[in-house]
Amino acid sequence: MTVSHTRLRVLFACFAVASLLLAGKLTYWQTAMRAELLGPALGQVRSDEVVPARRGVIRDRNGAILATTVELRSLYAIPARIADKPAVAQQLGVLLGRDPAPILARLRSGLEWTFIHRRLPEATADAIAALRVPGLGFETEPARLYPNETIAAHLLGFVNDGGVGQYGIEAAYDDVLRGTPGRLVVERDSRDRALPVGLRQAIPSRNGSDLTLTIDLVVQTAAERELRLAMEREKATSGCIVVVDPKDGSLLALASAPSFDPAAVAVTDLEVLRDRCVAWTYEPGSTLKGITVAAALERGLVTPATTYNDVGFAIIGGRRLNNALGRAWGPTTVTQVLERSANAGAVFVGSKLGAERLHSSLGSFGFGQRTGVDLAGEQSGSLRPLAEWYPVDVGTASFGQGLTVTPLQLAGAYAAFANGGVLHRPYVVASRRDADGEHRTAPVAVRRVISSETAAAMRSMLLSTVDNGLAKNASLPAFSVAGKTGTAQIPDRSGSYESDEYISSFAGFAPADDPRFVAVVVLERPQSRLLGTLTATAAFKGLALDALRTARVQPDRAP
Amino acid sequence: MATARTAARPAARTHRAPAAVRRTRERPQSVTWETRTFGVTALAIAAGFLLAVMYLGQITGVSAHDYEMQRLEARRTELQRQNALLDVQLAKLEAPARIEAQAARLGLLRLSHVPVMSAQELAARK
Repeated sequence: MTVSHTRLRVLFACFAVASLLLAGKLTYWQTAMRAELLGPALGQVRSDEVVPARRGVIRDRNGAILATTVELRSLYAIPARIADKPAVAQQLGVLLGRDPAPILARLRSGLEWTFIHRRLPEATADAIAALRVPGLGFETEPARLYPNETIAAHLLGFVNDGGVGQYGIEAAYDDVLRGTPGRLVVERDSRDRALPVGLRQAIPSRNGSDLTLTIDLVVQTAAERELRLAMEREKATSGCIVVVDPKDGSLLALASAPSFDPAAVAVTDLEVLRDRCVAWTYEPGSTLKGITVAAALERGLVTPATTYNDVGFAIIGGRRLNNALGRAWGPTTVTQVLERSANAGAVFVGSKLGAERLHSSLGSFGFGQRTGVDLAGEQSGSLRPLAEWYPVDVGTASFGQGLTVTPLQLAGAYAAFANGGVLHRPYVVASRRDADGEHRTAPVAVRRVISSETAAAMRSMLLSTVDNGLAKNASLPAFSVAGKTGTAQIPDRSGSYESDEYISSFAGFAPADDPRFVAVVVLERPQSRLLGTLTATAAFKGLALDALRTARVQPDRAP
Repeated sequence: MATARTAARPAARTHRAPAAVRRTRERPQSVTWETRTFGVTALAIAAGFLLAVMYLGQITGVSAHDYEMQRLEARRTELQRQNALLDVQLAKLEAPARIEAQAARLGLLRLSHVPVMSAQELAARK
């Protein structure tokens, strides 16, 4: 058999041309069109993901979890893969406790992929997973959980859907708690697994710091319980309890009512979110008489035994200021001014001080300025400048009218009586822990406001106020208690006071000689009007029993 | 054929050739360059194949281990998640408010006063 050379040449030429064409095309795609091919090809396998940082855990001083972040499963659907949509919607409706109609509508919406229910409880997610319905799947999403539910809700605040802290600790320490997200660029196979020998570029995330608070969960729970009971008993519009350790200004409890559920903030009124311990001001009334007396004692203008004749009122700046119910007490010592809560007596002491010294003392105790507590939304209260004071303001301010304070400010001032005369900056974060270790908060002594002798005298006078005076209801069976009640009128918009509406309060500490805590209880508009202080002192008593028991404080009196 | 070879041998023994010629004749037939090239190529291909198999084996092993590592990492993540959920459950169970509610449900009453004894009193009683 002979082979035609011509045919061979033609065949060779064809192959050569075809090869050249292929080579040319290949060169074209690999060079000129490289980017256009590479982009989609890499896009199919490469994923550029944000690696979320874990939000820090918030714990109380004993390590109990107050807020933490866990990954919960969210249910999604790929509707095209679900054959019997009505049946699946029915099943999901039963398991989720929802109306199946909206679920079915979502399955029929024509979407390629859709969430059905986000952040499911574990048991529900397990039950749905057990159905093994093709087209249903789970994706984990971070959820902020508060195991104690509404306890310390105002103090802790909450986290919105975008992961940003709102109110309380969550807002004040958002940048610390949030951490820094990382980034992961990786090539994945069709089963969404990272290719072992593929591209992998990772910038690790930096988790948020964990915070340990000064709050004691047992004391906080007791404060919330007593506040709830007082609110129910008095049908008060609002209330709060502040508990502070006088030795360093650390906060043991902050309870505010009405409260909210951090898990259902969307349906909460904005006013409810306000923490009344730090972001609400009121005229303190008679609880401020302690400050007036302390200022006068400190300057040697009066002693606990200094006596005046109480006629039931005092006239100052051309205005007559009456005692509660207009009662005249006759000869009254300064100690009895506190015991009887005599307005005329407070005016007597305030007049001894004079406007300048009284104003200066109120400022020194921290009124009219923020305490600097590490919580969001703190208010400063109002202490008008001295230049704006009328002569009558010396009288009204001496028994707590014409100026506003926050309950936290008042607690700080009483803590100065309790600790020997030093005003501390209140704080709530004891330490934060991050990758570098633990960073403790150093207590800050702002200034000495009274001498230790004056503080001791104040403790003794306030002890007498509980033992012999109007605050008797706050006394405990085996502990000495020092404190002062307060009943303040509520200013209206016309500049006058509302008739027969009050704010009842009690500020005190125990044991009186070596105080372990200072508490301020405030109730707004109690239904028992002037007797609202009885409920406030009862709340203090219930709280004090738990606080002293938890701290294992030895009784200092026979029961 | 065996007969011919047998017959030729005595002749070779009888007429011995010079030593140089004899050495050439007695040496086994030399390997041709084609054979050598074939052998080298075959060896190279075999070595290349072996290396490729080893490389593939290594890559497969790495892949398998990597997938196993991913599976274990996913397992670890899930266990950490479960652990966090258990921590939350524990915190809920230990919540003082829940314990108080349970105590109230059981009819337990709060002591208004907790008697405290000093060490001396205890010692005296013993």
